[in-house]
Amino acid sequence: MISIEKDNSSSRSKIKKATSTRVFEIITYILLALGSIICVIPFIMILSGSFSDNRAILVEGYSLLPRQFTTAAYEMIFKAPKDILQAYKMTIFYTAIGTTLGLLMITMTSFVISRKEFKYRNTVSFLIYFTSIFGGGIMPWFLMYANVLGLKGTAFAIWFPALMSPFLVILMRTYIVGSVPDAITESAKIDGAGNFRVFTRIVLPVLGPGLATVGLFLALGYWNDWYRSSMFSTDSKTWELQFYLYNMLNQASAMKQMAQNTSISTKDLPTESVKLAMSVVATGPVLLFYPFVQKYFVSGITVGAVKG
Amino acid sequence: MEKKSLIDKLEGEYSGRRLGLIVSALISVLILIASLPFVNWFFVKAADVVDIMKLGEDADIASGYTTYNFLSFVGESGKGILGMAAMIVFIWAVATLYFHIALIVKVVLNRKNKNGYLGLYQTAKTAMLFSTLLSLLLIGYMVFCNKQMGANVISLSPIVYIILVIALAAYIVLSILEKREMSRYKEHGLFKEIKKNWVLFLMLIPTFIYFLINNYLPMIGSYFAFTNYNFRDGLWASPFYGFKNFEYLWKSDLPRLIRNTVGYNIIFIIVGNVLQILFAILVSRVTVKWFKKTSQTLMFMPYFVSFVILNVLVYNFFEYNYGFINNIVTSLGGSKIDFYNTPSYWPYLITAFYIWKNIGYGMVVYLAAIMGIDTELYEAARVDGANVFQQIRRITIPLLKPTFIILLLYALGSIMKGQFELFYQMVGKNGVLFGVTDILDTYVYRKTTTEPLSIGPSTAAGLFQSVFGFVLIIVVNWLVKKKNSDYALF
Repeated sequence: MISIEKDNSSSRSKIKKATSTRVFEIITYILLALGSIICVIPFIMILSGSFSDNRAILVEGYSLLPRQFTTAAYEMIFKAPKDILQAYKMTIFYTAIGTTLGLLMITMTSFVISRKEFKYRNTVSFLIYFTSIFGGGIMPWFLMYANVLGLKGTAFAIWFPALMSPFLVILMRTYIVGSVPDAITESAKIDGAGNFRVFTRIVLPVLGPGLATVGLFLALGYWNDWYRSSMFSTDSKTWELQFYLYNMLNQASAMKQMAQNTSISTKDLPTESVKLAMSVVATGPVLLFYPFVQKYFVSGITVGAVKG
Repeated sequence: MEKKSLIDKLEGEYSGRRLGLIVSALISVLILIASLPFVNWFFVKAADVVDIMKLGEDADIASGYTTYNFLSFVGESGKGILGMAAMIVFIWAVATLYFHIALIVKVVLNRKNKNGYLGLYQTAKTAMLFSTLLSLLLIGYMVFCNKQMGANVISLSPIVYIILVIALAAYIVLSILEKREMSRYKEHGLFKEIKKNWVLFLMLIPTFIYFLINNYLPMIGSYFAFTNYNFRDGLWASPFYGFKNFEYLWKSDLPRLIRNTVGYNIIFIIVGNVLQILFAILVSRVTVKWFKKTSQTLMFMPYFVSFVILNVLVYNFFEYNYGFINNIVTSLGGSKIDFYNTPSYWPYLITAFYIWKNIGYGMVVYLAAIMGIDTELYEAARVDGANVFQQIRRITIPLLKPTFIILLLYALGSIMKGQFELFYQMVGKNGVLFGVTDILDTYVYRKTTTEPLSIGPSTAAGLFQSVFGFVLIIVVNWLVKKKNSDYALF
């Protein structure tokens, strides 16, 4: 890749470039700029809406720039921050424990099924992949946790089910196979290193990008989840942040419905800008965190087959 | 004594080892014949059952049942709790048949691999083990049934006991043969592997527990798809219902749900992959570093947003009174569009937001593959005078094929599984739009959370999803493997 870059920019003069290359370059930059703008516009809308005056939104509608700049929505949220802080706390807890444990389990499993000397590696990886193509469905899964194990309402039911996923195991396995040559593990074994030593001393140190990628996917899954709260939470103490937001949206629309039926002016409800401010508060950490991990992504995401 | 000399004979010459397999294949044929649908495995004292269960005159209890139609006995007799056990026996019986057929096919085709007959021996052993356990299961099941009915009304056909003896004997002989074959090829069995690599097995234990609880044990719950759930009898004792849940689904919602689920997924796969590949190629060709990095970052951003936020976003865009789109429309002099009450817009909107959310992710996956392409190929092409378009067409796109095929296979495996969060958060409970936006997953979720009595139909819908996806991926993978085994998923 680097050699292409050099070749295009320095060693070749611009006059020598064929017209087709020029056309292609122009199209490339236009399309990418367009794609980036389309991807970003919604974020700008949310951000500016959260700093807009609620009445202005209701009268004039949403727009790309804040209408009548105000921080009222944020003040409103943090006036009574107890609930949202609780949701934040729980989400951080779920994300921390889930990502740590999940990453550990996924890495160990991927290490085992990447070892050529492990006779049952393909059987194990198929049994893991199998769970993604066949399963009992949501209902038996729900009944398993709620009725059989009796975990409804516990925090365990929220973080445990998302610890691992076949996709992430395969991702990690592909990464390990690609970055740790067999020859190295072989020679380590000849020098008398056991399997555990090979794992901690040889494999783990070179897994940086793989760990970053899988860890980010796991953390993202936990941070953005609302589903398990909707299934298993019995009171708002165990709610995830996104479910708190989701619940607020539902309440807001229910209130609006009620207001319309009872002919109270909907403009008195500070729904719209608060909703947007909540969205910013709930997403902020992820978007701030992501650029730091991004550089590992291209080397970390390589999708391979189930067999090895 | 006789057994030992027999084994020595089998062991003695090269063709003798094959003889052992032919004998086991013949046993398999016998077992298959004995398992044909018209051979009765259960005998039932019909009159007693009618008495005990206080069934009417019209109760249709036969005196003999096979493994396959025994479920209909459970249905007729109204004893629901027998159903789950019957279901397990049935699934086990089907698995047993599969292994026996596999053995016969393999022996007929004489499939040898680098380990000689070891693979064949393993298949044979599995088939015999399954038969043995099936017989034991049936015996246990008979005892369980009689206990539940409170009288000895069910007995097993002698065939079951004969199969037990034959299969067990065959299993023991095969084990001995396998052991010798193993020492010939320096292979070893499970216990030796555990002894050798115990650390690796230890590392798998948490994973094993996780998948057991989260995935494998709930599979037993597939049984609920065949019951008519009620609160009084509870999960396991509710009356057996046969395929009526599936029938009900088929007559009401299933065709529409399948059309939507599969239709959207196909569109997502096609449009998604085309755009992702396109943008991956474009990004890989950008030479200005900051532009490359920034566009990648920005296009990946939507992937990190939760679907709840997407819900907020879609609402802001398409709300009737003050949504962004209607704002523009009215300022351009048009009249407002009522998106939330017009289903015809939604297939496009859902597709657009799916693309929006996933383009960055897919782009990076393909970008990783492009980065892996040897740069010398491009150099050589340039020297030969190929322009950018020719390079892309002749080098980049062909070399992206493996990645594309793998992604396609994974996508096909879950073609019956919809993007639940996308649909649920975009459409929510807006029934007006269900005609074109309701997919299997949203349907099951709605039923699961709002109708506690619909355990039967919603499990049936989930089971349908699973079985369809499973069969599809097995067939497609088999076809791919036949054509080019490098591309196969497993």
